[in-house]
Amino acid sequence: MCMSLSLLLGCTRAPAGGDDTLRLPLINDPIFNPVIAPDIGSVMVNKVLFPGLVRPDEQLRPVPDLAVSWQAAADGMSWTFVLRPNVTWHDGAPFSARDVKFTFDQILDLASGSRLRSDFSAVDGVDIVDSLTVRFRLKAPFAPLLPLLGYNAGILPEHILKGRKLTDAVAFNRTTPVGTGPFRIERVVPGASVTLVRNASYFGAAPGVARMVFKVVPDINAQVAQLRAGELDLITIEPANLGSVEGVAGVRVLQVPVVQHWYVGFNASTPMFSSPIVRRALGFAVNRQAIAAGVLKGYADLPGGTIPVALRDFYDSAAAPVPYAPDSARRLLASAGWNPGPDGTLKNAKGEPFAFELLVDKGNPTREQSALAVQQDLGKIGVRATIRTMEFAALVRDRVLPATYAAVLIWWTTPPDPDQYAFYVTGQDNNHVKWSNRTADSLLSLGRATQDPIQRRAIYTAFQRLERDDPPVLVLFYPREIQAASTRLEGIPALGIRDALRHSERFRFARQDTIR
Amino acid sequence: MIRFLLRRLGHGLFVLFVVSTVTFAIMSAAPGGPSLLADPKLSVAERAAIESRLGIDQPVTVQYTRWLGRAVRGDLGASFLYQTSSLSTIGSRLPQTLLLAGTALLLTIGIGIPLGMSAAARPGSRLDRIVTSSSGIALAVPAFWLGMILILVFAVWARLLPAGGAVTEGVSLGLLDRLRHLILPALVLAAAGCAEVVRYTRSAALTTLALPFVQALRARGISPARVLWRHGLRHALVSVVSVIGLQLPRLVGGAAITETVFSWPGMGRLGVEAALGRDYPLVMAVTLVVSAGVVVASIMADLAQMLLDPRIRTA
Amino acid sequence: MTGAAEHTRGRPLRLIVALVALGLLTVMAVAGPALYHVDPISMDLSIAGGGPSAAHLLGTDESGRDVLARLLAGARVSLTVGMLAMCLAVGIGTVIGTVAGFGGGWVDAVLMRITDAALAVPVLFVVILVLTFMGSSVFTLVAAIGATSWMGAARVVRGELRVLREEPFVEAARALGTPRIAIMVRHLLPHLVPPVLVAASVGVPSAILMESALSFLGLGVQPPAASWGNMLSGAQTYLTSYPWLALYPGLLILLTVFAVNALGDALRAAADPHLLTRRPGGVG
Repeated sequence: MCMSLSLLLGCTRAPAGGDDTLRLPLINDPIFNPVIAPDIGSVMVNKVLFPGLVRPDEQLRPVPDLAVSWQAAADGMSWTFVLRPNVTWHDGAPFSARDVKFTFDQILDLASGSRLRSDFSAVDGVDIVDSLTVRFRLKAPFAPLLPLLGYNAGILPEHILKGRKLTDAVAFNRTTPVGTGPFRIERVVPGASVTLVRNASYFGAAPGVARMVFKVVPDINAQVAQLRAGELDLITIEPANLGSVEGVAGVRVLQVPVVQHWYVGFNASTPMFSSPIVRRALGFAVNRQAIAAGVLKGYADLPGGTIPVALRDFYDSAAAPVPYAPDSARRLLASAGWNPGPDGTLKNAKGEPFAFELLVDKGNPTREQSALAVQQDLGKIGVRATIRTMEFAALVRDRVLPATYAAVLIWWTTPPDPDQYAFYVTGQDNNHVKWSNRTADSLLSLGRATQDPIQRRAIYTAFQRLERDDPPVLVLFYPREIQAASTRLEGIPALGIRDALRHSERFRFARQDTIR
Repeated sequence: MIRFLLRRLGHGLFVLFVVSTVTFAIMSAAPGGPSLLADPKLSVAERAAIESRLGIDQPVTVQYTRWLGRAVRGDLGASFLYQTSSLSTIGSRLPQTLLLAGTALLLTIGIGIPLGMSAAARPGSRLDRIVTSSSGIALAVPAFWLGMILILVFAVWARLLPAGGAVTEGVSLGLLDRLRHLILPALVLAAAGCAEVVRYTRSAALTTLALPFVQALRARGISPARVLWRHGLRHALVSVVSVIGLQLPRLVGGAAITETVFSWPGMGRLGVEAALGRDYPLVMAVTLVVSAGVVVASIMADLAQMLLDPRIRTA
Repeated sequence: MTGAAEHTRGRPLRLIVALVALGLLTVMAVAGPALYHVDPISMDLSIAGGGPSAAHLLGTDESGRDVLARLLAGARVSLTVGMLAMCLAVGIGTVIGTVAGFGGGWVDAVLMRITDAALAVPVLFVVILVLTFMGSSVFTLVAAIGATSWMGAARVVRGELRVLREEPFVEAARALGTPRIAIMVRHLLPHLVPPVLVAASVGVPSAILMESALSFLGLGVQPPAASWGNMLSGAQTYLTSYPWLALYPGLLILLTVFAVNALGDALRAAADPHLLTRRPGGVG
C-alpha cells in the first residue's frame, strides 16, 4: 500500500519529454481550417498549421511567409505575389499558386462556410500567373490587403479539399489537417488536446521545440493553476489573475500592446447620444487613468481615438490622451441643454433625466469592473447609467446588431491596420454605434485606398484629430495582452499570442543541464 | 420479469420523448441563438448564410419535426460547433465520463457504505460523530470550491498530483499516469454522493437494528456486530441502491463542474459548453444520451432492489 | 423504539447549534444591511484587497468593495434563493404528488412518467438553458431551480398518500360519504406535513449549492449584486492573493447548509424514522 502510494505520488515534475514540448491552453476544441473557423481556439492552432502569404513582424509590419515578394500595380487595382519555391504540404505534395487561388475562391464564396469574406470584400478574384505567381484583382484600391493576408487567411491545400464544401471536410477539419507550417498534426484527443510535431521539411528556420501540445483548459483559473504546476508553458491572463502569477518561482509575466480598442459605444441614432458635444462631454467625465491603474493594473495604454497605440506607424502620438476633466464635461453638457436638477441628476429642457442602460457581457471581471467604474464616474456629473449584464451571444444578437441599445461596453479586435471603414463609416454593417460623420466617411474611404505610407499616416492622423471633436465611441483604453510564461521558455515573439503563433518555430526551451 | 422490463422500457421511451420536446422548446425560445452567430463582425449576408446552412432560419416546429424524424432513425445531427456528428462527438467523450463517474461511484460505495455501517455500529461514539459531521461538511461544500482547493494544495504547492487533464498530453505514460490524473477529480465528484450514502446507510442500518426480528436475533445471543453486518447491511443496501440510482444524473450531468475545474474531457463539460454555445443538435444529443443512461440505470436499480429485497420480488 | 431513541442521542446539541446558527443567519440577512451602513456595491479600486479596518470591518474585495457589506447583502440573496426555490419546489411537488397519489389511475401514471423524465434530465443543462433564456436574477434563479427540483417532494407526497388512502380512517370517512376534498383537507393533509417538511429541508441547501455552482459557470446572481455563490466563485481568481475573500462566503455556505441539514435530520427523526429511507437525492 505504502509503496504503491509513493509510486503513485512519487513521479512528479516535468514528465518525460516535457523539456521539448511546448504546452499551450485552448478554451475549446479547434476546427482545423482558418477559412471557416473564427473562434479563438481554432485561430490559435490554425496560425501554426496554416501559414499565410505574409505574416506580421514584431512591428506588425507584413513580412514574407509563403510569398517572398509582392508588387502593387500603379493604379492599385491589382497585386502580384511571387510565392516561395520548393514548399511542400505536410503530406509531401508541392505547394503552388493553385492552392492560393483555391483558398481565395473559397474565402469569397459564402456558400463554402467562409467566415473571412468581409475581410476580403474588396477582392474581385485571384488569378494564377504561373505556378509560383498569383495576381489579386481588386474592385477598388485596398491598402489593408497585406495586413489581412497575414491575419487569418491561412492557405489551404487544394489537392485535398477540392470539390466539396469546406464545412463538409470533417476528417480534415477535425483530425487530419494538412498545412505548410513549422508543425504538423500528430494526434487529436477530442475535448482534451491537440498534439503537433515538428515538420522536418518546414521551409523556414528549424522549429525550436519538438512538439507543441494545445491542451483544452476552458477555465482561466485552471489555466493559471496548471501554469503554476508546470503543466502549461505559456498562457494569456486577465489583470485579475496577476496576483496568482506575480512573484511565483518559474513564472514570468510579459506584456504586449495588441490591436484592440475597448470602448463604451453610445447609440448615436438615439436622441440622447446624437450630439457630438454630449459624446465628447461623456468622454471627459470618465477617469480612464483610474480604470487603467485599478482595473487593468497598469496593463493598458490611455487612448486618444479609436486607433490603438499598437499601430505605431499610425497612432497619433503627438496628441495627449483624452484628459479626465469632469468640469469640462459638466460645462459641455450644460451647453447641450443638460442641467442638474435638485437631486443632482442632469435633466433636459423637457425635464427628462439623463439616464440610460449600459450593457456589458457577463463573466469577464475586467469588463464588469470597467463598466462599474464608468457608471460611478458618470454618476459624479449627474448622469445615471444602469448596468445590465447579458450573455455575450444574446447581447450581440439581440441588442448590438439590431442597435436596440443605448450604451454598450464592448471592444474591437482588428487586423494590424488602421482601416476602420467597416466600423465607423456611415451605414456599414459593423457600424453598430450608428455614427455618421461625412468627413470621417471620406477620410476612412481615402485611407483604405491609399497605398503610400506617409500619405496614409496623414489621413489617419486627420481622422484621429476629428475623433477628438466628434468621438464615434468613448474609447476606454487600449489593453495590453498579459502573458504568463514558464521562465524556461525562450524566443517568445513580442506579439499578441495569436500573432506570436505565426512565428511558432521561434519558441524554444532554455537548456536544462545547469539548472537541475 | 419480462413484462416488468417491457413496461419499464415503454415508460423510458415516453420519458425520453418528453425530455426531448421540452429541451428543444426551451432551447429554441432562448434568445441569442447559436454562439456561431455572436460575432459582431458578421455582415448581414454572412449571418444569413450561416443561418440557412444550420437550418435555423426555419420555423421552430419545422426544425423540431425534422430533428425528431432523424432522431427516430438514430441520426442526432451534426454539432454546430464541432461539425462532427453529435453522437460521435459524445462517443469520443463518453469513455472519459464513464471512467470518472465509475471511479467516483466506486469511491462513493466503497467509502460510503463501510463508513455508514461503522458509524451505525456504535451510535454516538466518537467515530460516529466524526463520520456524521464530516459527511455534513462534505455535503455543504460547493464542488468547484473543493476542486480549486485540492488543486492548489496537491498540484500547485505540493506538486504531488497533476492539476488537470486526463493524461499527460503529448507523451504516453500509461496506467499510472491515468491514475494520478483521476485521483483528485474522482474524489471531488464522489464527495457529496459519498456523504449522502454514509448518512443513508447509517440511518437505514439503525432503523433495521430497531426492527423486532433483529432484537430477536440479539436476544438469541448472536453478536451485535454480526447482526449489523449480516442483516443490517442487507436492509441498508435496499435503500442505498435507490439513492445511488438517483445519483447517476449528478455523476454524469453534474460532473460538468468537476470536469471544468479539472479540464477533464468528459461529457458533462461537453454538455455545458453545448448549452452555453447554444449548439442545438449537441445539446439535444447530450440530454438524450444522459437521460437514456439514467432511465436504464434506474431500471437496473429497481432490478437490484428486487433481488435484494424479497418482499418487493414477491409483490 | 430503542434504536430510534439511540440514534437521536447527541442530537439536541446539534439541533440547538443549528437553530442558533439559522437564527443568526436570518438576523444577518434581514437586519444586517440596516445595522451595517456600508454600500455593498460601490467600488474603490484604490483600496482593493485591503485587510480589515475601522471603515471596512472584514476588509475589501478585488474591486475595493466592503466584504462584510457584501456578505450581508449576499445572505439576503442566497437565503432568499434557497428559501423561495425550496418553497416553489415543494409547492409544485406537493401539488403533483397529491394529484397523482389521490387521483391514481392514468393521472398517476402520466404524472409519474413526467416526474421520471424530470429526474432523468441532467438538471444543470436544463437550468443553464432556462437561465440563458430568461437571464439570471433572483427571480429567474428561483424559478429555474424550483422548477427542476420538485421531483423528490412529488414522490414522497405521492408515496405517503398511497399508503394513507388505504388506512382504515380514510376508508371509514369515505364510507360515510365525506366529499373527497374534505377527506383530503381534514384527514390527509395533516399527515403530509412531516414528509413535506423533510423534503423542504433538503431543498434549501441544494438550492444554495446550485446557485453557487451556477455562479461558477457565470450564470448565478449577476455582479455587482452579491450572493455567497458569486462571491465564492469570484474569489477563486484571488485564491493566492486574497485568500480570505474565499473564506467568508465559503464558511457561510457551509454553515447554512450544515445547519439546515441538521435541522432536517432532527425533523426526520421526530417525524418518522421510516422516512429516512425514502429521502430523495439532492443536487450537487
